[in-house]
Amino acid sequence: MTVLPVRKRRRWLPFSPWHFVLAPVALLFGLPLVWLVLSSFMTNAQINRFPPTIIPHSLHLDGYRYVLHNALFPRWFLNSAIVALVVVIGNLVFGILGGYAFARLRFGGSRALLALMLGTLVIPFQITMIPEFLIMKDLGLVDTLGALIVPSLVTPFAVFLFRQFFLSLPREVEEAAWMDGCSRLGTLWHIVVPMARPALGTVSVLTFLATWNDLTWPLIAINNDHNYTLQLGLATFQGQHRTEWSAVMAGNLIAVLPVLIAFLAAQRTFIQSLASSAVKG
Amino acid sequence: MTVRQPSGRMPTRRELLRNGLGLAALAGMSPLLNACGSNDGGAGADGSVTITMWHGQEDQGKATIDKIVTAFQAKNPKIKVNASSGGVLADSMLQKITTALASGKYPDIAYIFGPDIANVARSPKVANLQPFVTQPDMNWDDYYPAARDAVTVDGKVRGFPALVDNLCVAYNKKVFQAAGVAEPTGDWTWDDFVATAKRLTDPAKGIFGTGWPAVGDEDCVWRIYPMIWDLGGSIVDDSGKKIGFDGNPGLKALQIIHQLGADKSVYADTKPGSDTMYQIFNNGKMAMVPTGPWELPVFMDAKTEYGVVPLPTFSGKRVTIAGPDTWTVFDNGSAKIKAAVQFLQFLTSGDQDVQWATEAGSLPLRKSTADSAAWKQHIGSTVGLDVFSDALSYAQTRPTIRKYPQISEPLGQAIVKMLLNQGTPEGALSDVAKTANAALATP
Amino acid sequence: MKTQFRVAVVNREPVAQERSSLRRRRYGEAGTAWSYVLPSAVIILGLGIVPMVWSLVLSLQSSDLITPAQWVGLKNYQALSHDPTFRAAVGHTLIYTGLFVPLSIAGGLGLALLLNRRVRLIGLYRTLVFVPFVVSATAQGVLFSFIFDSHFGLANAVLHWFHIPPQGFFSDKNQALYLLVLIALWSGVGFCVVVYLAGLQDIPSELVEAAAIDGAGRAATFRYVVWPALRPMTVFLLVWETLQSLQVFDMVFVTTRGGPLESTTVVVFFVWQQAFEVFNAGYAASAAYVLAFGLLLLSIGIRLVRRGEERKVNR
Repeated sequence: MTVLPVRKRRRWLPFSPWHFVLAPVALLFGLPLVWLVLSSFMTNAQINRFPPTIIPHSLHLDGYRYVLHNALFPRWFLNSAIVALVVVIGNLVFGILGGYAFARLRFGGSRALLALMLGTLVIPFQITMIPEFLIMKDLGLVDTLGALIVPSLVTPFAVFLFRQFFLSLPREVEEAAWMDGCSRLGTLWHIVVPMARPALGTVSVLTFLATWNDLTWPLIAINNDHNYTLQLGLATFQGQHRTEWSAVMAGNLIAVLPVLIAFLAAQRTFIQSLASSAVKG
Repeated sequence: MTVRQPSGRMPTRRELLRNGLGLAALAGMSPLLNACGSNDGGAGADGSVTITMWHGQEDQGKATIDKIVTAFQAKNPKIKVNASSGGVLADSMLQKITTALASGKYPDIAYIFGPDIANVARSPKVANLQPFVTQPDMNWDDYYPAARDAVTVDGKVRGFPALVDNLCVAYNKKVFQAAGVAEPTGDWTWDDFVATAKRLTDPAKGIFGTGWPAVGDEDCVWRIYPMIWDLGGSIVDDSGKKIGFDGNPGLKALQIIHQLGADKSVYADTKPGSDTMYQIFNNGKMAMVPTGPWELPVFMDAKTEYGVVPLPTFSGKRVTIAGPDTWTVFDNGSAKIKAAVQFLQFLTSGDQDVQWATEAGSLPLRKSTADSAAWKQHIGSTVGLDVFSDALSYAQTRPTIRKYPQISEPLGQAIVKMLLNQGTPEGALSDVAKTANAALATP
Repeated sequence: MKTQFRVAVVNREPVAQERSSLRRRRYGEAGTAWSYVLPSAVIILGLGIVPMVWSLVLSLQSSDLITPAQWVGLKNYQALSHDPTFRAAVGHTLIYTGLFVPLSIAGGLGLALLLNRRVRLIGLYRTLVFVPFVVSATAQGVLFSFIFDSHFGLANAVLHWFHIPPQGFFSDKNQALYLLVLIALWSGVGFCVVVYLAGLQDIPSELVEAAAIDGAGRAATFRYVVWPALRPMTVFLLVWETLQSLQVFDMVFVTTRGGPLESTTVVVFFVWQQAFEVFNAGYAASAAYVLAFGLLLLSIGIRLVRRGEERKVNR
């Protein structure tokens, strides 16, 4: 693990002095979470107070009651989870395969194909969503979770990122595996993928969040409230003239927490196990 | 499903054959061929019809519509109403319906904002309800004029009124008391309004005289029209090629807003949704706010002590703007149109009209509803609602013209300039005239 | 020492790798490659090319999406070149991108270096830095509307504490765009941190230790070991963040709607407004294509520069 060299100093504090820098920085970024947590325990009246309430005098469960009273909320959560999970897996599998082919295998037109794939990113979604909707309609996917999954099942960026990463890996290990009679897929799975953890992490995080927090596309592609995603459902708490702020905050917290917990957990296993494997690489 | 035909035109035999055969081959359902020529497109074999409605409502609005749908289906077992928000709130409906129309897969009824119907109605897929509204049992003239005008584009009715509201001034009684200023009576001019706002502004205590949405969207723009109309102006002139407020009406109206901006007596809410503005009012930091009836339930929730008076005037003649929204009907076959009309007539009449207006925080669509005991009882329970209800009789509405967004956009920018105290009313008006007239002149 | 590092760098160069793969070419390689690429190609091109062509055609039409369109050739593009709002939108987008991309990458790298040490609670610190990236645009919109309210906001209260006069923030047309950059940095830098952290973890520690033994200072270690090793991350972030900021939309939509006085109207917001507010979808599509052409030129430019660099390295 690359930890910048720490010179042994006389301990004049029971903890590392770095905390004096790290804590304020982390606080600056983490404050909105504190605020989100606090306001999710406020009533609408408390949230609507102006100038805003920062530390509420009393905590309430109104927001959570509103959210959980909604019989469809668990379903929205499940829908979001299904969509995000399938999309992440799709991007990992197809991204690795595609990225590996572009990085290591030679085939006619590979450069042009990659350029073309990346080229599809240059038109903003606000325009392409209409033809995309037309295609979803022809595939019979409008108003199904499929409409949310298929278009992002593999993104040009996942392919591109894996390609970049594979290019930066030394070939020698792969070649050694080849000599030992490992098949190409076997090499990819046993040798290359374990070395690509930073890329796996980046692609997972990016595609998961992009899908989990997306509102623009579900707004167009979904009609029926049984097929709502979490963000689409939360958006409906914000009425034209009246917003259930406490419910919006509670719902947002429920949406954010699993992501953060996953991140915290992933860090332990993924970044640190990586540290040990990196020594070998 | 059958082949859709624009109303009135009979399909040629060749078209009929080609479309019919194509469909038959595709679905293997040759009986459909029979339905092509006849006039009950969209009906099932047993005469039952299913219609889809995107109402853009959630929570109470949705619950109310669901109740009304159940009642309707009990009376009309052959019509099934598939009512859902459509996955969007009314704010995002335009984007959704544009995409739906572009793809050819659209609902039978959708909630469309008043200023948007003229553009949506350009689509050949929007139904023409003119033949229905002339039927005597429709009692079309019972709807308020503003509501009727809002669904009529180029002389053709394209939907039903969905909601009607208007602007009056709500004031915070405590702020007036604390400053020792007499509460407004409603018999006042815009100069009185500006002076009162200035007097009540207290930067030390963070109190504003009034507030105005300053994103530059429709909620910002529609508040200026009562002034323009009062001054003898109009949104477009009779030729339809130029704005109708260039000159004195537009200038005077912008000067009033400019004065508010220069006095710093107005809270310009630059955030989408105007939530902050009303929060400030509810927290005793704003004296007066021009608003619609939808905000009254919010005031009551916040336990604000408020009163409502009509908008100020220049001439002494009462004037306000009604912002009606519409249930636009789309053409998925004549049987479906007919069913949609039947449902919408039910939804917007009698008890249902009261029920809906009460829940949506809006006003009755029909004059007969406004006179009903149920509505009068509701008025009695909501402070200030009578003022809004009375204002319906003199409220005017925006013209349903296609180029309206091209007028609204620059006018919104001009108003924001005044609110933020930048530039002169003269300069702002000439900018609007230049941009909007250029847009109006092109076909 | 230096040669050792240069080897490491050259080893990471794509060109060198492709050369060696040429030598190792085998029968059936193309078939395998196509079978690997096919799913991605089908999904990406199948769902990507049609919309691209569709919008290109749209950009040559006068269309509102709901009535039959008319062919107008390049007229939309001509009109765009005279449209002051569009020109301003391009300017705003360039300012935003020009500030956001370098600052987020520099900030991300700085924070990643700061967070790359073994102290207690480090996992928590890293997670907290990442928080703003996870919070949805809606929640951010609410948060910033009360932090940056010009009269009642938290930010002005803090400034007051330091005896700084109150600022207009989102109601000041000279500040709004820069405030957006600031918010974007706050919410987006966490992602750069995560990417760089993963990259830092991947640097073999012997390399750093060797440098330390050779007597290299921290600055030298960073310059000759860490920075070159992070190159794939930097390239990725550069491409990704540039694309994201040139197409910024959500943030503008929830906080300013292009205001005040069109001071934060960016290109994609302009596109959205034209397509869905004023029914000028054809015009909107042409604006989108101007952005696309810009991106294309940029990527060709980058490619040329990199090719030049590679030549230098190979020589």
